[in-house]
Amino acid sequence: MLLLEVKNLDIDYKTQEGTLKAISDVSFTLRQGESVGFVGESGCGKTTLAKSIMKLLPKNGSISKGEIIFKGEDLVKKSKEEIRRIRHLKIAMVSQSAMNSLNPVYTVGDQIIEGILAHTNMSKKEAAKRAEEVFSIIGLEGKRLKSYPHQMSGGMKQRAIIAMALSLNPDLIIADEPTTALDVVVQDRILREILSIQKQMNSSMIFITHDISVVSEICDTIIVMYGGKIMEKASTKIFFKKPLHPYSLGLKNAFPSILDIGEELISIPGTPPNLMKNLSGCRFVERCPFRTTLCQSEMPVLREAGEDHLVACHYIDKHEAFTEAAELRETWEAVRSRIIQEKEEGA
Amino acid sequence: MDTMPLIQIENLKKYYLVNNGIKDIFSKEKKYVKAIDDISLIIKKGEILGLAGESGSGKTTTGEILVRLQEPSDGNIIFDGHVFKANSKIEEKKFRKEVQMIFQDPYETLNPRFNIFDTIAEPLKIHGVKNRQDIYDRVIKALEIAELKPAEHYITRYPHELSGGQRQRVAIARGIVLEPKFLVADEPVSMLDVSIRADILNLLKNLRKKMGLTMLYVSHDLSTIKYLCDRIAIMYLGKIVEIGNVKDVIDNPQHPYTKVLLSSVPVADPDYKRQSIIIEDEVPDQIHLPEGCRFGPRCPYSTEDCKNFDHTLFERRTDQWSACIYNEEELRK
Repeated sequence: MLLLEVKNLDIDYKTQEGTLKAISDVSFTLRQGESVGFVGESGCGKTTLAKSIMKLLPKNGSISKGEIIFKGEDLVKKSKEEIRRIRHLKIAMVSQSAMNSLNPVYTVGDQIIEGILAHTNMSKKEAAKRAEEVFSIIGLEGKRLKSYPHQMSGGMKQRAIIAMALSLNPDLIIADEPTTALDVVVQDRILREILSIQKQMNSSMIFITHDISVVSEICDTIIVMYGGKIMEKASTKIFFKKPLHPYSLGLKNAFPSILDIGEELISIPGTPPNLMKNLSGCRFVERCPFRTTLCQSEMPVLREAGEDHLVACHYIDKHEAFTEAAELRETWEAVRSRIIQEKEEGA
Repeated sequence: MDTMPLIQIENLKKYYLVNNGIKDIFSKEKKYVKAIDDISLIIKKGEILGLAGESGSGKTTTGEILVRLQEPSDGNIIFDGHVFKANSKIEEKKFRKEVQMIFQDPYETLNPRFNIFDTIAEPLKIHGVKNRQDIYDRVIKALEIAELKPAEHYITRYPHELSGGQRQRVAIARGIVLEPKFLVADEPVSMLDVSIRADILNLLKNLRKKMGLTMLYVSHDLSTIKYLCDRIAIMYLGKIVEIGNVKDVIDNPQHPYTKVLLSSVPVADPDYKRQSIIIEDEVPDQIHLPEGCRFGPRCPYSTEDCKNFDHTLFERRTDQWSACIYNEEELRK
């Protein structure tokens, strides 16, 4: 069953210098129980997308086109009051610095109970019991409910926030870099806990991160974003064996692994596009080693490239040659020279 | 590679006095956070040493003491034959010329009101280079080494016009313009996007090759350490728990903490079945440290004997030292 369907979404930010198109024409679906990982560099629109589903965009941001259909209803058309009822109860969010959003003058338990009471008809006693339940699910002792935020470590606070998000059995969990600020040992445990809870409750999850290895371990599906668009979507099993988009191929080269045995890392030369400009071609065109004139004039649409695999590239049929060439340093060095040359000509 | 040590650290300590309010001021017993507690290590000429550990392990403090941003509480640092004792006056200017640092956040290390030329020229001016042409040439050369090409295109720019990766390159150019012998890089890529991290890592590798630089690379990211460094030292609560060649330590960790750390790193391969070693994830309070081995309370292998352990490093394999009373075979039991 489809839990969430995002259709042709456009999101703009109004700034002093003009309109920034943070998201353009993004569509994807999410099944009940599915977890999808969004990856991409800063500014690619992944956090904006998450916030738009919760309708938590900053004041200068707005959905200019498209639909966000959650359980059959379009969230874009909902009023503030209607959205407020869905938030937390049906969709819950954990953000990167969430642990700093705890109120320092209330105990953590009181804050969780407050959330439960605000959204349900539970009595205070029932809410307290529920808080204790979720604490034990996330691996915190019940007595910790009486702690104030300053008495807890970063890992514990982040856990408490996750417990809060889970307290009402939401259908959809949106986790935006939930473990980025934490040490690797703590991160590993929290990810494990999130994963087991998500499976137990059969919730769907949107997981946002820049770390593709985390997505590989905890998500069913990966969506690669670039310049406000989806470049590739595939099941993680397929993606990590056979990424198709040139940007994904570049990412794979650039990512160091603890298992590497001396392979050279190659980065993607250049910088992401300026989304203030009116971009007609492929968003990746400036940094793509395989571009043609077609890529400069026409944005490729996301299309089927195999089972469970969508790619936005004009040249999917050439992916074998691309994959081979992308492993060579020269391929990307040529892009670097091209960018330097363009700069010199421009200067 | 020359294997003479460039830097020898002997029994280095850094204690911070804890002052939590009126009670502590009047209390006779002084409480300390032991950020670094008696570590000794050697950095060889021309090598890149990786320093890893969780937050609070003392890795950043160690780096900052080596460039004298902080004074050690006790211990010696022998830099290229010169002994620097704790609390002794150093010839600061001369020392700073040979030792430079690159920081984590390229957005905060550059003065927004200095253009790129002035940013990189500043250290030269401070160190008495007066000839304008000379300054210009050296700035351009530093930018080119940092691979900001064409260099002339960048010198009139301001930090806000550059991307994170470009800013970090400017910080590196500033770090190398005086042609130092030793560079401390504290998490230089952790704020950067994955697609450009490799560039900065490759640049640091090249600096060693081109300028014969010796480097201390401080990071919590074991994958980048494996890529960049020759040797690695793992710290835990102010102590070194393991040190050795990077490949040996990562492929064959000897200390239980290293084993735990490595088992927690996610891997981008859905077929790879990672076996995490699960431990208590709360690090002990840094003021009330556990008796004996500091990792004892979280260690899956700990015994009564660990409470009397004094963190001696044992050579468990060739050039691989571990501060655990048990060797590999004993741990397996």
